[in-house]
Amino acid sequence: MPSVAASRPTPIAWLLAPALLLFVLFFVLPFGVMVLMSVYSGNPVTNPNAFLTTRHYERFLFDTAGIFHDALWATLRIGLITTVVSLLIGYPLAHWMARMQSRVGHALVLMAVIAPMLTGIVVRTFAWMTLLQDKGVINTLLLQWGLISRPLPLMYNEFGTVVALVHIYVPFMVLTLTGVIGRIDERLEQAARSLGAGRLRAFAEVTLPLSLPGILAGSLLVFALSISAYVTPSLMGGTDVLTLPMLIAQQVGTSFNPNFAGALGVILLIVSLAIVVAYNHILARLSGERGLA
Amino acid sequence: MKAQAPTVASAAPANRAPFDAGRLAYLTLNGLLLLFLLAPIAIVLIFALNPTPYISFPPVGVSLRWFQKFFATPEFTNALTLSLWIAGCVLVLSVVIGGACALALARGNLPGRGWLTAFFMSPLMLPAILTGLALFQSFLLSGVGRPVWGLILAHTLVAVPYVIRTTLAVLHNFDHRIEEAAAVLGASPVRVFFEVTLPLIRPGVFAGGVFAFIVSFDQFPVSLFLVVPKGETLPVVLFNYMKFDLDGAIAAASMVSILLALSVVLVLERLIGLKAYVKL
Amino acid sequence: MISRRTALRIGAGVAAAGALGAPAILHAQTKTLKITTWGGKWGEIMKATVLPAFEKEFKCTVQADQAFPYVPKLQASPKNDPLYDVLHTNSNEQWNCVVEGLVMDRITPKEVPNVADVYPYAVSDKIVGVSIFTSAIGLGYRTDKGLAKPTSWKDLADPKLAGVRGSYIIPVNSLGQCHLMMLGKIYGKGLQDLDAAYKALEQLKPIKLVDFTGQMEKLLLSGEVSEAVIHDSGIYRYDGQNQPIDFASPSEGVMALEQVLNVTPGSKVKELAFAYIDYMLRPDVQKLLAEGVWYSPSNKKVKLGPKYDEKLLTTEAKVATLIQPDWKWYNARKEDIDARVTKILKG
Repeated sequence: MPSVAASRPTPIAWLLAPALLLFVLFFVLPFGVMVLMSVYSGNPVTNPNAFLTTRHYERFLFDTAGIFHDALWATLRIGLITTVVSLLIGYPLAHWMARMQSRVGHALVLMAVIAPMLTGIVVRTFAWMTLLQDKGVINTLLLQWGLISRPLPLMYNEFGTVVALVHIYVPFMVLTLTGVIGRIDERLEQAARSLGAGRLRAFAEVTLPLSLPGILAGSLLVFALSISAYVTPSLMGGTDVLTLPMLIAQQVGTSFNPNFAGALGVILLIVSLAIVVAYNHILARLSGERGLA
Repeated sequence: MKAQAPTVASAAPANRAPFDAGRLAYLTLNGLLLLFLLAPIAIVLIFALNPTPYISFPPVGVSLRWFQKFFATPEFTNALTLSLWIAGCVLVLSVVIGGACALALARGNLPGRGWLTAFFMSPLMLPAILTGLALFQSFLLSGVGRPVWGLILAHTLVAVPYVIRTTLAVLHNFDHRIEEAAAVLGASPVRVFFEVTLPLIRPGVFAGGVFAFIVSFDQFPVSLFLVVPKGETLPVVLFNYMKFDLDGAIAAASMVSILLALSVVLVLERLIGLKAYVKL
Repeated sequence: MISRRTALRIGAGVAAAGALGAPAILHAQTKTLKITTWGGKWGEIMKATVLPAFEKEFKCTVQADQAFPYVPKLQASPKNDPLYDVLHTNSNEQWNCVVEGLVMDRITPKEVPNVADVYPYAVSDKIVGVSIFTSAIGLGYRTDKGLAKPTSWKDLADPKLAGVRGSYIIPVNSLGQCHLMMLGKIYGKGLQDLDAAYKALEQLKPIKLVDFTGQMEKLLLSGEVSEAVIHDSGIYRYDGQNQPIDFASPSEGVMALEQVLNVTPGSKVKELAFAYIDYMLRPDVQKLLAEGVWYSPSNKKVKLGPKYDEKLLTTEAKVATLIQPDWKWYNARKEDIDARVTKILKG
């Protein structure tokens, strides 16, 4: 980020206005309602007996049930693993797509990358069940080839959850990265090659650093998404997996306790925002230190 | 449907050994990764073509009955049309709103940029079921009810963070000197913006637009609270169908959705383009 | 260009016609009944046949919400203008609602005449509202794995079934909750003996747990589990498709999974709401839905076709095998139970 002489906002800052308006009306106000609910015992609008209380937050903090803190750690852990794996899978694909010359090939790979996002929550789960369960395609093949003697537990656990989440989020990673990588001038890499660097070295010392903003943007996106996911972990994780979003969904949909759900939501949001802000600082620092070539 | 490995004639510097082990490894890796992405979709296709009225593997045959059922059921087709239309509106709205916001964040020199960026990312981090419930309560409290524009704006809220994120990523690598050069050559700021800046950030805008469309099309938890009878989006219809019936119709619905959405994405790619064609 | 006099005359004429026609227009305004309904085959039958016939007979429009879950939405809507007039859901959720004053407590033949013709379980003290159908929760099993037909709930704990038995994620699924209570009954002192139930649950590991019955059906059909807790409808709906699965009613009794209709106290069309429930209890409507989705009808006077009659609960004697849990008691403890079973079943 080049240092700017002026310290006052430029006129372009006004472009923020529509987004701000949308967010204030559709996010801040409803979120305010949710925060309000989280400090009430019931719904103050429909229930005249509802009173202010901190018991929902206390319930989480003291965690006498023993499952809430675990849920938070599980959420962050699964989020982190999903992000890293998505990055490892997404980067090569993004690089390939960005550097592809053939327009047709590019379009085909684009479609292949996007298709997972479009399958729809439910059907996707059934597809994974078919692939991953004890009698699923993978286990059947491995057993047939004699590589294993008993089915591998690939589903109804954290492994299955991460696989399914990665599958959904790799497209987000790829699309974020491919734009950034595409903007990196190939001739920079070629210059490095002509100066004697091998392909791998040229990549590691030229392309990779220049794609850092994309890496961080993509990881941030995937991390934010995976820590708020609940449908997929519910369907893929059995009882082995309990994340905070799953708890929230349970509280809303089956325990009918929107107040506690609201408190959990506030907690999740605070933790995530802290991580995001830290991320952004790193992003600013790293891309600031690396100016353009 | 996996793309075949591009021929060796694609971009590569001259002076290379005839057999390129490195390139082969690169392509194999990408091929395997594509396989990972496409395997579940192949399964869905098998389900969609399998004539037995429950989702089973291995398949017993090929039949179009589930597609026929899908197109013959007004509930499905109406939901599909509604979802497509809403996604289209969301696409336009979020690209405009989100793109503008990203520009403001990157260039506007605003105080507390980091916090603002995090703020605009918040909808992504909140489980959508809470966003849906909170919006639902607010709508009811303010007497707005559950109109379609409310649903569209709610989807836009959820989609805008993506556009902001991808556009910001592209803006970071931006070479200001191109803009400065144009200005020096006499172009007005507005002209610089439309003829230099905008084309250069196209990949970010495209990616964001694709996300916005898909996120809206596939959006489930928020829609759950904000749809009205006879005005349900496709994911809601499918989810509730599936809870009570397990046949190939949902797989057919999924395939149709994929094909339709992919066509939209292709059109977008033609119009906006993921690859930047302007290079110095 | 019309002259002013002509315009005034036309205007007066229109106003007079309007005044005369106004009552007719007011009467033409139809009432709207807001209900909830399941999707899938049930939803198909409702939308194609049952609802249009109701609309025609009672000259109204029915708005059927199919986006489950319903209770959070009802909870969030104002009590004097509820989102639904009629709530169709399972017993456990109806009890959650009545505790918050969202639905009525009792429905008697005074409001809904056909209630006089239902089996006792449909309006027992374990029900709020009235049950229109029920399923029996028992054991589904594969017939091709050399298993004997289960005769007791205890058969699920057979060591041979380790890793190939199935049940549900208890916090989110009422069949799982029923199963837990049943464990208390067969291994302990009764449906409310949670300590015995927890111990028995521990012994059932390893067990495959899913979110909803559709997933369980898939597990059974693909052979992923050989025996599982499931309702009879989930097995019988594959009738005629030659699937190697069957349903067994354990000797200790089957748990009831009732489809319950109830009316919201703040509803502005209560008469219509009661008329709807009455309509759903009519023998011809009951027969249509029962045979469509393999539910057991609550109306005693319903005569089903022979193959349905054989398998479903259509006599006093068969209905007597239904066990109805105390949902009020369970719901009050749900949070603690959820936390406890999550800990037991994790990893």
